[in-house]
Amino acid sequence: MTDRTKQMLAFFIRDKKHHSFRKQPADPYELAAGFSMENVPDADRAALRLQYVLDQEQPVIFAGERITLVRTVTTIPELFTGAELAALKETHWIHELGDISNICVDYTKLMDSGFDAKCDELTRYQDQYTGQGNEEAAHYLGLQINILHSVEALMERYRITALEQGNPIVAQTLARVPANAPQNLLEALQMFRILHFTLWCSRNYHNTIGRFDQYVYPYLKKDMDLGLYDYDSALELLEEFFITFNRDSDLYPGMQQGDNGQSMMLGGLNEDGSDSYNLLSELCMKASLEVSLIDPKINLRVHKNTPMDTYLLGTELTKQGLGFPQYCNDDVVIPGLINLGYEKKDAYNYTVAACWEFIIPGLAMDVVNIGALSFAKAVEDAVMEQLEQCATYKDFENCVRGAINRQLDQLSEQVKNLYIFPSPFLSLMMDDCAMKAKDASLGCKYNNYGFHGSGIATAADSMAAIKKYVFEEQSLDKKTLIDALKNDFEGSDELLGKLRYDAPKMGNNIDYVDEIAGGLLRDFALSLKGRTNERGGIFRAGTGSAMYFLWHARDIPATPDGRHKGEGLAANYSPSLFSRCKGPISIIKSFTKPDLRLTINGGPLTLELQDTVFRSKESMQKVAMLVKSFVDLGGHELQLNSVNRDTLIDAQKHPEYYHNLIVRVWGWSGYFVELDKEYQDHIIQRMELVV
Amino acid sequence: MNQKGLIFDIKEFAVFDGPGIRQTVFFKGCPLRCNWCHNPEGLQNVPELMVSSASCIHCGKCTDVCVHESCTACGDCVNVCPLRLRRIAGTWMTSKELADSIHENSDYYEHCGGGVTFSGGEPLMQAEFLTEVLQLLPDVHKAMETSGFTDSRTFKTVISHLDYVLMDIKIFDNDLHMKYTGASNEMILQNAKILCAGDTPFVIRIPVIPGVNDNERNFRQTAEWIAGAKALEKIELLPYHKTAGAKYSSVGRAYEPLFDIDKEISISGRIFEEYNIRSSVL
Repeated sequence: MTDRTKQMLAFFIRDKKHHSFRKQPADPYELAAGFSMENVPDADRAALRLQYVLDQEQPVIFAGERITLVRTVTTIPELFTGAELAALKETHWIHELGDISNICVDYTKLMDSGFDAKCDELTRYQDQYTGQGNEEAAHYLGLQINILHSVEALMERYRITALEQGNPIVAQTLARVPANAPQNLLEALQMFRILHFTLWCSRNYHNTIGRFDQYVYPYLKKDMDLGLYDYDSALELLEEFFITFNRDSDLYPGMQQGDNGQSMMLGGLNEDGSDSYNLLSELCMKASLEVSLIDPKINLRVHKNTPMDTYLLGTELTKQGLGFPQYCNDDVVIPGLINLGYEKKDAYNYTVAACWEFIIPGLAMDVVNIGALSFAKAVEDAVMEQLEQCATYKDFENCVRGAINRQLDQLSEQVKNLYIFPSPFLSLMMDDCAMKAKDASLGCKYNNYGFHGSGIATAADSMAAIKKYVFEEQSLDKKTLIDALKNDFEGSDELLGKLRYDAPKMGNNIDYVDEIAGGLLRDFALSLKGRTNERGGIFRAGTGSAMYFLWHARDIPATPDGRHKGEGLAANYSPSLFSRCKGPISIIKSFTKPDLRLTINGGPLTLELQDTVFRSKESMQKVAMLVKSFVDLGGHELQLNSVNRDTLIDAQKHPEYYHNLIVRVWGWSGYFVELDKEYQDHIIQRMELVV
Repeated sequence: MNQKGLIFDIKEFAVFDGPGIRQTVFFKGCPLRCNWCHNPEGLQNVPELMVSSASCIHCGKCTDVCVHESCTACGDCVNVCPLRLRRIAGTWMTSKELADSIHENSDYYEHCGGGVTFSGGEPLMQAEFLTEVLQLLPDVHKAMETSGFTDSRTFKTVISHLDYVLMDIKIFDNDLHMKYTGASNEMILQNAKILCAGDTPFVIRIPVIPGVNDNERNFRQTAEWIAGAKALEKIELLPYHKTAGAKYSSVGRAYEPLFDIDKEISISGRIFEEYNIRSSVL
């Protein structure tokens, strides 16, 4: 890393000096009150709000920077008054905050043309629509033109400031972009920064970055061919670019700090079987490795022919302890998407939405997280309402299937009358939205809805325990089980221990329970097959949980896997929190057994690896092999964590949730929670020393 | 073919026990009593009760069920513990049972350039059983982590079935070896010579113990002893870590090393370079 990059990291990340330029928070409802009074249409509100924010922005340029733009406005005003929003919610399904979020736009739609040419194009469409007497469409296009002008005006203020402050590089770049299409790498990065910044100012959120290494590569290649950059200087520029993602991220909406969806996808199969991984992909991995920041979040598309070197670089990144790269397996995801009806060329172009849901850039207005099935609740319902009438395990299985169907009936019914707030700016980067003068919030080429599926391990483990003890061994009476669950195992210690620790658990490579999990996932997918949503799209089944692993855990009493009432479910596609698995290989084998092409809404298996397995070059290669084995065995999505001090401290406080946490101590591995406290402390102490 | 062996653990994803990704089988029972041993449950050649007390809620169920004066590792208290904090370390397995268990995932390990490693305790303490197991695994890459403490005939027999050996030369000086491990290193050094004369790739490991063997004389004598061996891959230095004593209380023993655990360790790979031996620190 160069001194320049180090200085920038100190300025923006360590000292957060740019925060001092921020304006005070404002009343978020001030604009909405005016809109409401004057009865302004929603798309106009969105455009006016964005222009209002952009107009308020004052240029701040930092010494020596080449890529500029920073937020000083801290409050993005609401579109609606509280009363208006409440009224909307009575008649519509409002998803999360209501704004378009969690999709991937096609940045090239504005990058390739530049704003001036885009305005000309919009004006032409406007004239056509006016000629046809379609004033509404012409008006909508006018909103988009106004926004582009406001962005240009802001950037012009930046350009003048750059000149005044003696920053010729920024001034020169802004003399070209965003008005014109970028001609070199620096202009392309600045252009991206402007587009991304404007999306956030539109209150669109979880603004994913998409296949950056594909759409920016031509600029890099051209500049390198011209000798403008070599490997190191290109890397330095990319690092400056990466830091920009972290300047304003604390202002972005999200569940937790860092939950902002700034996900970047690298590599991936082309339709002809070649790999699109290129020099820029590698530079992005290196940049992320060096700056070691949580944004952008790196995702890597891999497949059976991905070279070991790529996995090795990914493993180096995992070693940083940031929890990425996340690996997506093309060999499973692409066929899965095609099975769902995505066109082949689109499926090959997939990326991830904010976290891990697979989505097509510029074409999909999919709402990938519109709801979530609770597998655990389905099992619980079947136990409480029907188990006593079941003569065989098969009967019980049918009851669970029925409970899944009923939940999905309800979920797909409840998401009707979806209303998404318009975003004229974002729509400029979605397919055909400009030509059709149609806001992306109303739909695009793909309009599918995704359901997560939480608690798969809890459900499968519960069913396995019932199959084994109630139906096969007949050592457990149905009523005894139901009563114990109702009483949260109060007074049933022996039963609790048996269910919790002795019953077969998913994650141990035991077909008995893994096949039940595969069946549940299949039931989920089959139940959604043939259903359509009101936008003409389909429903996608997934293995993710998002925050539902917490919410769904609150909804259910104790479960037959020995889980207490109130105890958590595992996040995403992972073993239950208290099942003690034999190791990462058994976990991988268990979790790659189901046909994951069926549940391709996404949701990763998460593996925790102790940081000492990253200790030597040789052992890192073995971690890389472990990742490759997941891909070869047909896993769809994988996230690895190098376990760090924070995890260990939490494990000390809640040992019951960390039975699988293995720590390598001194030439040996042990379960962290089994060590005496002083030794636990010692290992935690050691973590503080890890650089 | 009906030997039984006592196994106290089979670990997945071992990355420091030989080439590739490996599964490591831990044999219970060891002839040495090294001061720095971190696997106290591997020492005795009988099953033992292990209790992890860190999250014990002191419900008393384990004592209620117990009918013995002193522990016989009968296991009655294991399943009454509501948190399953007790287990019996040590399972008797037939050679076929162990080989079958290894075969369950051996394809996976082969795919990852690895295989199985037999460790302990001391696998050579159950040499007949080990040999039977090795013979049942012709298609698996087999390694052994050993102290080398056995007679030469046994040693030769076992290594003839192995693809890779990791062997300790803990302390070169015999008096010190006696003091800190409770045994002479004569057989160990002779067996090291057998490895040096053979074709089986091997690694020599030195647990580096502060104030005990972390000196130039020890490193130099060890290097001289094995220098020039054609199948020697490298010397691995395993610096002592204070967490070595972590599991003693769970087997009801005290950890009482005869050396100063707080003393700083001195390591230099330079000495090994002089003898053209590659070295690394684990």
